Amino acid sequence: MSDRSFLELDGLTRIFAGTPAVRDLSLAVGEHEIVTLLGPSGCGKTTTLRMIAGFEQPDSGRVVIDGRDVTRVAPQKRGFGMVFQHYALFPHLSVGANVSFGLETRGLSKGEIAQKVGRALDLVRLPGTEDRSVGSLSGGQQQRVALARALAPEPAVLLLDEPLSNLDATLRERTRRELRSLVKEIGITSVYVTHDQEEAFDLSDRIAVMQAGRLEQLGPAEELYHRPATEFVATFLGRAGAVEAVARGPSQEGVVPCRLAGDATWQALVPEGAGVNSGAGVVLLVRPEVLELAEPGAEGSVSGTVSERRFAGSVYVYTVAVDGGELEVHAGSADATAGETVGVRPVDAPRGVHAFAKR
Amino acid sequence: MRNRTRLLTVLVFATLAWAVVYPNLVVLGESVVEDGAVTLRHYAEFFSAASEMRALWSSVWISIATVLLSALIGVPLAFLFARFEFPGRRVLGALAAMPVLLPPLVGVIAILFLYGESGIATRLLQSALRLESPPWRLQGGGAILAVHAYSMYVYFYLFTLAGLARLDPAVFEAAASLGAGRFRTLTRVTLPLLTPTLAGASLLTFMTSMASFSAPYVLGGGFRVMTTQIFSSKLQGETGMAMVETVMLASVSLLVLWPLARWEGSREYVAPGKGTRAARRVVKSRWATFGVPLAAALGVLLLVLPHLTLLLVSFVPDGTWTTQTLPPSYSLENYAELFAEARTLKPILNSLLMASAATMISIVIALAVGRLVVRNRVTGSRALEGLLALPWALPGTVLAIGLATTFSVSRPWALRWVLVGTPWILVMAYSLRVLPLTGRAALAGFRQLDPSLEEAAASLGAGPWRSLWRVTIPGLLPAMAVGASLAFVTGLGEFVASIVLYTHRTRPISVEILSQLRDFDLGTAAAYGVLLMVLVGAAFTLGQRWIQGGREPEG
Repeated sequence: MSDRSFLELDGLTRIFAGTPAVRDLSLAVGEHEIVTLLGPSGCGKTTTLRMIAGFEQPDSGRVVIDGRDVTRVAPQKRGFGMVFQHYALFPHLSVGANVSFGLETRGLSKGEIAQKVGRALDLVRLPGTEDRSVGSLSGGQQQRVALARALAPEPAVLLLDEPLSNLDATLRERTRRELRSLVKEIGITSVYVTHDQEEAFDLSDRIAVMQAGRLEQLGPAEELYHRPATEFVATFLGRAGAVEAVARGPSQEGVVPCRLAGDATWQALVPEGAGVNSGAGVVLLVRPEVLELAEPGAEGSVSGTVSERRFAGSVYVYTVAVDGGELEVHAGSADATAGETVGVRPVDAPRGVHAFAKR
Repeated sequence: MRNRTRLLTVLVFATLAWAVVYPNLVVLGESVVEDGAVTLRHYAEFFSAASEMRALWSSVWISIATVLLSALIGVPLAFLFARFEFPGRRVLGALAAMPVLLPPLVGVIAILFLYGESGIATRLLQSALRLESPPWRLQGGGAILAVHAYSMYVYFYLFTLAGLARLDPAVFEAAASLGAGRFRTLTRVTLPLLTPTLAGASLLTFMTSMASFSAPYVLGGGFRVMTTQIFSSKLQGETGMAMVETVMLASVSLLVLWPLARWEGSREYVAPGKGTRAARRVVKSRWATFGVPLAAALGVLLLVLPHLTLLLVSFVPDGTWTTQTLPPSYSLENYAELFAEARTLKPILNSLLMASAATMISIVIALAVGRLVVRNRVTGSRALEGLLALPWALPGTVLAIGLATTFSVSRPWALRWVLVGTPWILVMAYSLRVLPLTGRAALAGFRQLDPSLEEAAASLGAGPWRSLWRVTIPGLLPAMAVGASLAFVTGLGEFVASIVLYTHRTRPISVEILSQLRDFDLGTAAAYGVLLMVLVGAAFTLGQRWIQGGREPEG
């Protein structure tokens, strides 16, 4: 990954009928980097992608590709390739004609075009399918033709709008690995839109989590998971139980001790730049894998009642109702049963314990 | 159960074969028979007569030209309303479909009042330019073509609008992402994807034009096409020749229909995803903000001018408009007279009754066929479907001549009775003419209806009748409402078959309009026309309401 930013979004805002779909969004994507826009439906990720493409005009802000401001440039002159959610293959054209569509206005000879089409189809492991009709292909094959079509003109930027959402689960998993290695091999700067966090984790160099039109946090997957900047990021990525607590003393070097009901004190991480004052009310979001079950009243534990126990293969998942919240605990054994009173405590605090100021 | 289905299949099949196919076979038979002997004399006569060849050729070239001209008007108009956003778009877009409300004959006389030799526009121009004689005569092939284009561009307009709406908007974005500009996207993506739609519209326009009778009958003068040729042969008692002409018209129509329909059916591009709707381009540049709506408004005004003229003339007392440019006096007299006198009220009642009866009969047959074909998938389903659609492919004149020939003699052993002269022959003709409309609706309705709904009803203990009444019929209602209103409207304005089969006692509105026109009672003729227009509009609105009412409460 180079540090040079290749695609820049600068203060993008788009308002639909008075409601902002995207608000003041700024984001820089480095050359050869894959950035994923991740968020629940309606968070503005697709609108952002469409503004990069030029299918939507921002109400304010700029889109810069490779140093060139393209905000007012028509989509067909921006030089990006795009894979659409339903592929949008031209149903009246053959596979080969679909892939060559973007090459035909380049003044290339027929031989050159055929060669490039062949190479693009080789790349997506569909060699020799030029003459087939797109209707005769399976969903996975159509998806790959769509990718070949987008890549054939060798665009500067690749945009992908939930390209795997129409594939079944097993195919989806395999395809996303292939997609990543392919995109990395070509080294094309890419923006990927999805609402599926597993997909985002698998594919991206960095993830931009969006909610209600805003960018919540931008960073590599590990950073987002281990150092969530907001309550939303902490709950949207991975699972987290929530319990109320009170800060004991100011935060130091990103860690603050918090007192829970029943006098237990847990060390918790606070987001960078968000200090917590002594005595302030906080919400602790805790990953289930950093918690363990203990005897009721054991040191550093909060007491609660097991409300549910589920078997999830590698672990048992306990849901424990505690004073001021509900926690989830992963445990290797089926020691406790529903209705039983147990203690819950973190194994390696502050890891996996995140404090956010109460709103 | 199986036996009952089989019985119903045989019954429906026999009825359709007798009503749809048999009369045509009778015509075919009589075309090669003279004085009890088989002869090809009529055919030899047909092919050696220059006038016959001319009429056949006229039918064909007018139909081809009508397709081209209608496409030239309808397709750009559809693009304008589908792709651009400007003030008044919705209202103007709806108005552009207005000619569909005009039954063909009413359209023809409306245009006659406006652009005919003594029409308003013609006289305005004549007096403005101080000409000795009218600037044009609305007669002959050109006049027929103009009226056809006026009434049939709507097929292209509506088909293209629907076709554009069905396309996946992401396809256009994909073209843009691959560097294609507007023109390239249009020629390489949009138009190719619209070809099935355009083929469908062309086919419909061609068939309608081949079958067209009102325009050539009223405006043709000495210019003959096959439909008017048949009618005049029949009037002059040249039965053999009329039979041959009928056979020829039917053959040419079917000959064109067959390959085109097959080709159309083989290609269908359906949008895979719903995606975002294609954005309409908002007209921004200064001249365009005025220019586009203005041009659209002017174009649409041109299209509704005949309707307005008809309305105007309907207020003119008979005999008061002679040489003036605009009629000098207006009153409600014509309308009052329409409903006050038994003589003028009769055609209205006739049309309403016969159209209602035909609609109901055709619905029953259509539902039976729909059930047999879609649900029971009986053997011979394709044939049943074909029989249902066949009357659409046959020009109304052909159909009427078949009925008139078959049911003018009493030969019960040959399943022929005398129906000519009774209202039943008209009801039968109307039923057949509207059968493809209700049939199409019933087939579509049954296909859209999830069969597991009926199974669910059965699992909840509903018998076949309860299931039919509570589940199947409500499910079919939206589709059937459209089919039924189309059928009723077609029956109300029916002219082509009526003019062959009517008697004074059974005359429908359309025939009455023509006879009022012959007596120069222009106002009364126009009032009938407006009445038809209102009834047609009401039937359509009611049909639409019904659909919405069936789905969800309004608001």
